[in-house]
Amino acid sequence: MRGGALEIRVGDRLREFELELDARVEPGECTALVGPSGAGKTTVLRLVAGLRDPPRGRIAVGERVLCDTDAGICLEPEERRCGFLFQDHALFGHLSAWRNVAFGIGAPRSERRGRALALLGRFGIEGLADARPAELSGGERQRVALARALATAPDVLLLDEPLSALDARTRAHATRELAAALRDAAVPSLLVTHDFEEAAVLAAEICVMDRGRVVQRGSAAELSASPASGFVADFAGAAVLAGEAHPEPGGSTRVALEGGGEVHSSDSERGPVAVSVYPWEVALEPADEPAHGSARNRLGAEVVSVTQVGTRVRVGLATPQPLAAEVTAESVAGLGLRPGVRVRAVWKATATRLAPAAGPAQPAPGSSPSPGGAER
Amino acid sequence: MRKPSPFARRATPVLPASLAIAALAVGCGGDDEGEEPLVVSAASSLETAFTEYADEAGIDAKQSFAGSDELAAQIRQGVTPDVYAAADASLPYELHAEGLVSEPVIFAANTLAIGVPEDSEIRSIGDLAEPGVKIAIGAPSVPVGSYTREVIGRLPGPEAEAILDNVRTQEPEVAGIVGKLTQRAVDAGFVYATDVVAAEDAGLRAIRLPASLQPGVAYGAAVVDGAENPEGAREFIEGLLEGDGAEALKRAGFLPPP
Amino acid sequence: MSARRLLFGGLLVGCLALALLFLCLPILAMFVDVPPGDLVSSLGEPDALDALWLSLRTSLAALAIIIVVGTPAAYFLGTRSFRGHSLVTTLIELPLVLPPAVAGIALLAALGPKGLLGGTLEDAGIALVLQTAGVVVALTFVAAPFYMRQAQEAFAAVDRAQLEAARTLGSSEATAFARVAIPAAGQGLTAGLALAWGRALGEFGATLMFAGSFPGITETVPLAIFSRFALDFTSALALSAVLVVVSAALLLSVKLLGRSPLLGGPG
Repeated sequence: MRGGALEIRVGDRLREFELELDARVEPGECTALVGPSGAGKTTVLRLVAGLRDPPRGRIAVGERVLCDTDAGICLEPEERRCGFLFQDHALFGHLSAWRNVAFGIGAPRSERRGRALALLGRFGIEGLADARPAELSGGERQRVALARALATAPDVLLLDEPLSALDARTRAHATRELAAALRDAAVPSLLVTHDFEEAAVLAAEICVMDRGRVVQRGSAAELSASPASGFVADFAGAAVLAGEAHPEPGGSTRVALEGGGEVHSSDSERGPVAVSVYPWEVALEPADEPAHGSARNRLGAEVVSVTQVGTRVRVGLATPQPLAAEVTAESVAGLGLRPGVRVRAVWKATATRLAPAAGPAQPAPGSSPSPGGAER
Repeated sequence: MRKPSPFARRATPVLPASLAIAALAVGCGGDDEGEEPLVVSAASSLETAFTEYADEAGIDAKQSFAGSDELAAQIRQGVTPDVYAAADASLPYELHAEGLVSEPVIFAANTLAIGVPEDSEIRSIGDLAEPGVKIAIGAPSVPVGSYTREVIGRLPGPEAEAILDNVRTQEPEVAGIVGKLTQRAVDAGFVYATDVVAAEDAGLRAIRLPASLQPGVAYGAAVVDGAENPEGAREFIEGLLEGDGAEALKRAGFLPPP
Repeated sequence: MSARRLLFGGLLVGCLALALLFLCLPILAMFVDVPPGDLVSSLGEPDALDALWLSLRTSLAALAIIIVVGTPAAYFLGTRSFRGHSLVTTLIELPLVLPPAVAGIALLAALGPKGLLGGTLEDAGIALVLQTAGVVVALTFVAAPFYMRQAQEAFAAVDRAQLEAARTLGSSEATAFARVAIPAAGQGLTAGLALAWGRALGEFGATLMFAGSFPGITETVPLAIFSRFALDFTSALALSAVLVVVSAALLLSVKLLGRSPLLGGPG
């Protein structure tokens, strides 16, 4: 039978450390593997895809066992029905875009072309069906690669830094498109990324890996608010808040946050958004003092955690959504910061960035205009 | 796909050095008068005899051995050795008629023979007509090849045809026939009697041809017009008729000129 | 500064001109020496046609063997690493540096009647020496390394991720080799093929030593040219010119094929 949750329990000996991972991803959900280079993230994808054999472990999608070292089962990559998005897209240079997409479709020629064109059309690039990869832009290539991986209707999607080859402008749009595609595919997906924001937008759960092990897992907000270690705090650079964006005259945006409160951003966005702000942009002031200064965003918050990160201190806040501020040790002493204390978090609209949310209800792409535009 | 060659970094000193080596290598071709070695172009079959001759007589000679016809063609193309010695006297005569060499001198005779491996069951030329016997002969352009065709042509028609049908290779040089024989690629080959003498160590023996079939194998030599050292060339040819050269030819199995 | 640059530029151009002159003059001279009429009429001689036809047949047969066996072998060498990899690569390239005469001797020593495998071949009823099949063996031996070396390099340059992508899209290893590796390495493969073909068409020494020379059976064009060299220089020249024209046409068409989008050339 097809489909089902992706279950991974593997151990592998890498060059400098042991890789251990135990994870479960439900259909339609995305788990991000984040962490520094060489943490073993890509190895996990390769193990699932069958491009690398695990010394021990079991990988299954629903009832279908892809690999079980105890039972002596190990399917070839071509038998695993895992769609793989490679870091540099790995498009076949000798084939046109539509032939790339049709590569894995086992059907008569006429049908293959039709299906490939439909997939390209879904990403708005059916006009480029006959172009070679070398003639495409980074964003177009990424879409062809995505269409190619989806063309075989895989049971699992594996994404190895799918957006890292794109420039910042294209990236915002591509992230949104990818989020929609993952939702539509309704299969479990695993995303490897270096980018916390990307993980925050695409994945419900984030596993932070370091030297082969998961050092923390949770939602983006949880990681950012209560980093389990300095490493995680550092990595989860930005705090992420969910809300609904409403454009305002003059180009700025007002975001009504889930759970109450509102913030302003100089970015343009509409609908459900992820609001991100770096902790070092957030200042704290006593909740009982009158507001001063020019910063537009002020949220009442309660301190949930205080973590020393190097010479600075990360303060986890509940607004009620989790937020983080990074302050000096003097401020901690001056404000008497400890869990339970109420403060006011203050930051500028220009330090507030908006990204389309991974969450529910998003207009399907395909009809979407060319990448770039007004994001960020 | 293209990697920068590590050679490139060192190319600068390499370039002049390689030019210097090239210059050194061809330096021996320079023109220091009087010390020039005698340049001899001779038929392959003369190699043993001529090499010994030059050694014993203390002649500083640069000898090259190849098919007589090929050497003649080179002379026609303007190559000028000092001495040309061919396995077929008609070749130097032709060149003489064309004004390329001096009056030729016949300096030795040879006989044609059938070379076979020592343990061969072939006893006579008639055995060569048996089906399945593999034979090597010279190409029509080399003297050994034309002599062979002459010999076979003197046989009765059906026998001659059967032998020619058994020919598997037409070698451009006698050396090729001997090589095919020693490697057992063929069962028999038409060569000069002297070649079999030279290849005895390699396990070949000669089957003599009846005198009635023998062609007149006459070796002719001439001084090439435009030779750098015509005097030395004349002395070299005289030595072939009498003295060290004649001795060396005799040892190699050549007959005196008819 | 700019004077030095000018000087160096001049040096480069001068050397190129010298190389071009030296390499092309003999070929040019050949065509100057042969009136076009002779060229055509020399082709009319049955022996010349036999030799040309034989050269084509044997070189194509050798190429077929080289492609069928050499391509997968080169793929293995280009995409796998194992102990002794560079030793194996060197061994495969060895025939490149063998003088043709050595190649001939080596083939006789291995496959000749007195050779290492001579008895085995004879028992199997396989005759190579002095046979057309022997010519194919000689051509394959000298030409294969030219192809394999290029092919190995071309395969090594193929993006591994593309091969893996093919696997995740449902291709077996063999299918990925056929559908991705070969087209992606297409240009390198055709370039190697052109080199190998050129080498095979020009083969002389190994053929003569191993296969002998007999019109219609083993006398390829280079051997025919050599045997005419003495008898009739003009005819040898004409045949040489024909070989040059035919080789050039073959090589050109192979190169054009390599450029075609079909084989993954630059569109």
